[in-house]
Amino acid sequence: MMKVTTKDNLTAWLDKLARGYTLIAPKAIEEQIFYKPVARSSEIVFDFAKADLPVKEYFLPSTHVILSIERQEEGIRVEEPSLEGERVIFALRPCDARALRVLDALFLEEEPADPYYAERRERTTLIGLACREMGEECFCTSLGLAPDDASDVDLMLTEIEEEYAVQVVTEKGKAILGDLVLEKVEGTPPRPTLREEKMPILEAEAWPQHFDHVYWARLADRCLSCRLCTYVCPTCRCFDVRDYETPNRDIERLRAWDSCLAESYRRIAGGYNPRPTKVQRLRNRFYCKFCYYPKDFGPIACVGCGRCIAKCPVNVDIVEVLEGMAVL
Amino acid sequence: MIDKIQAKAKELLERGQVSCFIGYEEGTRRKVRPAFIYEPQDVDRLIWDERCTYNLAVYLHQFKSPLKRGEEPPRVGILVKPCDSRSLNVLFHEEQIERKRVYIVGLTCEGVKVNGQLQERCQRCSERVPLVYDLLVGEEPNEVGQENYADVARLEGMSPGERLAFWVREFERCIRCYACRQACPACYCFECVAEQLDPLWMGIAIDLPQKQFFHVMRAYHLAGRCSGCNACEEACPTGIPLSLLNRKIAKEVEALFGYRTGQDAETPPPLATFKKEEELPL
Repeated sequence: MMKVTTKDNLTAWLDKLARGYTLIAPKAIEEQIFYKPVARSSEIVFDFAKADLPVKEYFLPSTHVILSIERQEEGIRVEEPSLEGERVIFALRPCDARALRVLDALFLEEEPADPYYAERRERTTLIGLACREMGEECFCTSLGLAPDDASDVDLMLTEIEEEYAVQVVTEKGKAILGDLVLEKVEGTPPRPTLREEKMPILEAEAWPQHFDHVYWARLADRCLSCRLCTYVCPTCRCFDVRDYETPNRDIERLRAWDSCLAESYRRIAGGYNPRPTKVQRLRNRFYCKFCYYPKDFGPIACVGCGRCIAKCPVNVDIVEVLEGMAVL
Repeated sequence: MIDKIQAKAKELLERGQVSCFIGYEEGTRRKVRPAFIYEPQDVDRLIWDERCTYNLAVYLHQFKSPLKRGEEPPRVGILVKPCDSRSLNVLFHEEQIERKRVYIVGLTCEGVKVNGQLQERCQRCSERVPLVYDLLVGEEPNEVGQENYADVARLEGMSPGERLAFWVREFERCIRCYACRQACPACYCFECVAEQLDPLWMGIAIDLPQKQFFHVMRAYHLAGRCSGCNACEEACPTGIPLSLLNRKIAKEVEALFGYRTGQDAETPPPLATFKKEEELPL
């Protein structure tokens, strides 16, 4: 048995949700798809493969004032801005949902938990939307998930022609269901076609032996040393924190994305840089994902979304790298 | 054409005239990518077709220092299209790399395609033969395009408010990944203004003011130095039409100074020149 709802009922329900929550959903901007806050369901794109950027921004904002210090007549006033209201993210793909689990391992499960991330995670309900099929660059099945995996969302939707199958996964999901009109029907949601072949992924322990292999130098020849792959990645999570004086002489403590691909990333006081070459920096990205992160925090820091493959201007292809590593 | 390119690359590598030959190769997923050939037996990896959009001149910067300590910087071979050759002239003029350290295989060009579409810049390109080369490969095409700056004129036709709204809408999508800057042969500062700590021009925030400042600043720094290769725009993950900014400035520089980027390696670009007697028709 499964529960289904019509598209009309779904959109009416989303319209209602948008009044009580900040509704974040896929939106088309200049031929690309981005998760953006929407005021009504008519702004939402339902027919899309994958958003150009993941939802990382809503949990680890690219720029975030974590503390502001205001000068007053006497003394100072310190304020830690907190998130306003509750949020619902609609039409999250399973890979992007799994990416949040990967980030949880560091930001929630390690002591101390990151309070800013925790707050955003706590106050956000995730509505998943199963992929119809695997995209050209997708390789989620190689990383132990599937394009219709419901395990990382609160509510899961699957398209069935003009209707949607609705699966309640968590209490949080149940709580937002409200008066969504559901009809019980026989059967189970259709499964997307899964790609047979899986990428060979080297165990974390096997990576260190290849650290000095010339493979990395040849791969890095064409790397432009930009930050693109890390910023479009749903699991890259590095940030920098700096204090700035504002024009009216108050102080803001800012947290913003940073990238291990950037030359400045490892630069330390006095100007010394222990990771000065782009070979070292590009190699680090792969070691972080498949060796350091799993060793330190558990999960592999890649969900197979393929954004870095699709977006890299010079065809640094993570699948090719994984295949290359397996035969070194 | 490819036979000639491969044969030349092989000869250069075999004779030790270059340490590396930079060209194009077949990548994954039917994409083309930059290739770095170090051994003569690898030259058959080289390809040349309409998908070869990259401006390879950007990679010359990584050959500026010696491969091994104490040695001379390496000599490299490079494949260039007419547009890319103008970037080379900029780098030669700015003394980024010595002319004698680069063996240039110039390609005549009928335009390159992205996703099967002839690029707009190629439709209006009037230069089909590289301006600097050691070996020229290919026949000069009969048909050439003509620059009309129609896209820039569209922006100029907007009111300042409309234009600001246009750019705000575009820049909002910027994620400050610097792919545009890194793909640009003319952006080679050791420390970019955008990341400089002392003096601090802009912080680490990825907000609209920083994005606007960065892109406008970059466009100004490219005045008279941008070859119009479009590498920045193609690298952008969020599809910002960066070439419009550069083209607007190129148009102004051409009108004010009668100067086009990289026509030769000798004429200094206007913004790197000061003539006491010069009066601008402003």
